Amino acid sequence: MTNILDDYALMSPLRHRNNWLKLAIVLFGLLVGVSSTSPITPFFIALCMSFTTIVLGRAPFKLYLKLLLAPLGFAITGVIIIAFFSGSGHELLSFELIGYPLSVKADGLELALLVLSRSLSGMCCLYFLSLTTPMIELFAVLKATRLPESVIELSMLIYRYIFVFLDMALSIRYAQTVRLGYSNFRRSIHSMGMLGSTLFIRTWEQGDKLFLAMNSRCYDGKMTLFEVHRPLRATELVLTFAYFLSTVILFYFTKNISIV
Amino acid sequence: MHIMEGFLPTPWWQIWFAVYIPVILYGIHKLNRLVKEKREILPLLAVAGAFVFVLSSLKLPSVTGSSSHPTGTGVAAIIFGPAISAVLGTIVLLYQALFLAHGGITTMGANVFSMGIVGPLVAYLVYKAGMKAKLNFYAVIFLASALGNWATYVTTSMQLALAFPAGGVLTFGGFLSSFGKFAAVFAITQLPLAIMEGAVSALLFKYVVNVKSEILVEMKVIEDSVVRKLKGIST
Repeated sequence: MTNILDDYALMSPLRHRNNWLKLAIVLFGLLVGVSSTSPITPFFIALCMSFTTIVLGRAPFKLYLKLLLAPLGFAITGVIIIAFFSGSGHELLSFELIGYPLSVKADGLELALLVLSRSLSGMCCLYFLSLTTPMIELFAVLKATRLPESVIELSMLIYRYIFVFLDMALSIRYAQTVRLGYSNFRRSIHSMGMLGSTLFIRTWEQGDKLFLAMNSRCYDGKMTLFEVHRPLRATELVLTFAYFLSTVILFYFTKNISIV
Repeated sequence: MHIMEGFLPTPWWQIWFAVYIPVILYGIHKLNRLVKEKREILPLLAVAGAFVFVLSSLKLPSVTGSSSHPTGTGVAAIIFGPAISAVLGTIVLLYQALFLAHGGITTMGANVFSMGIVGPLVAYLVYKAGMKAKLNFYAVIFLASALGNWATYVTTSMQLALAFPAGGVLTFGGFLSSFGKFAAVFAITQLPLAIMEGAVSALLFKYVVNVKSEILVEMKVIEDSVVRKLKGIST
């Protein structure tokens, strides 16, 4: 919870590159990754994106590994279910668990690997975006997409207040922990409830104050933002195109290859 | 239950986006009308969104040793209604995908559908029905947020089962058998988690009623008479 990725994005040297280029790279990776039919292309995308994030974006390597491991719990549970229960090909492995037959079939395992690799590539793409682009940069992009004004305004205000309340929640939680508020299960539940309610009430008061403050500064439902103009450089373009081209070629040639 | 980036194969993530877009358009429409009517609501909604984000990023005390997070959307639905919750849920999920890498961009449609639409809707309906039946306020909150959490988890299992039916081809039997398996595996963590979320939400409302009940009356969450009864003040 304390690892808000935005903190790292603010320090990344890639922050000062063109936002649209970064978004294009991420979207390309996501779409190719999700539509690939063999695990090779997604692994390639994952490798490229990780390289860019760590070497060019200077994200700490240890943190990156930790981040990759965190959501894998969900992925592995899901993948195991897929490996065991889908597919109809020949059996690779079968055993009985408490009298209940379990077997891994070839195409089930293939599908499981494919899904795992797709998740991995998707995660690497997302981490590339979140570790190199602070949210503030993305608001300018959001403005250009012509989403309704109210939604953008709402997301900007939410973004601001996440940090205020996160700070508040952490200090309340710290105070509770020091007073043994989480020493056993019953107390933890009570402490959580208290934390939530205090947070809610504080939120409410803050909202009132915010309205007052903004109103007295002539808020009319619009906050003006200026996008910093960041020209594309030739080397960036060449690198991106090389990456796109090699991914597409790899995608084309590994279409029908299966690993298992 | 966040479905990870890249987990849903090609036809399914588009299908869930298609289901989700009309609902969110309706939510935005409602939001726009609300903001036009009462301009002071926007800062309030913003802090509420941040509240949902922070609530959902707090770890609940764990039972099984795995880390687990409340969805927080049940509370939002009870206070703001399901349509606004859907919009708040979308923004919160986008931030969760970008800040904490929970969920993803292509699976946003499916995730918002389960966590931002179905869960809050169930919580809201249970809450309304329970209040109409004049049950105990805290019991109703408990039920609403626990059932909302379960609805989310059943929807997620259903989405996964539709995408990965047993036997590889989508048949009714294959869907059912796969659904049973996903539901059974996730049940291990989700059943106790939902009960805990219910308990925490009920306690949350209890403290709010004790300290600052006028907020809830003002938002038309509960009526004044209910508050008086809860506080033991005779009218």
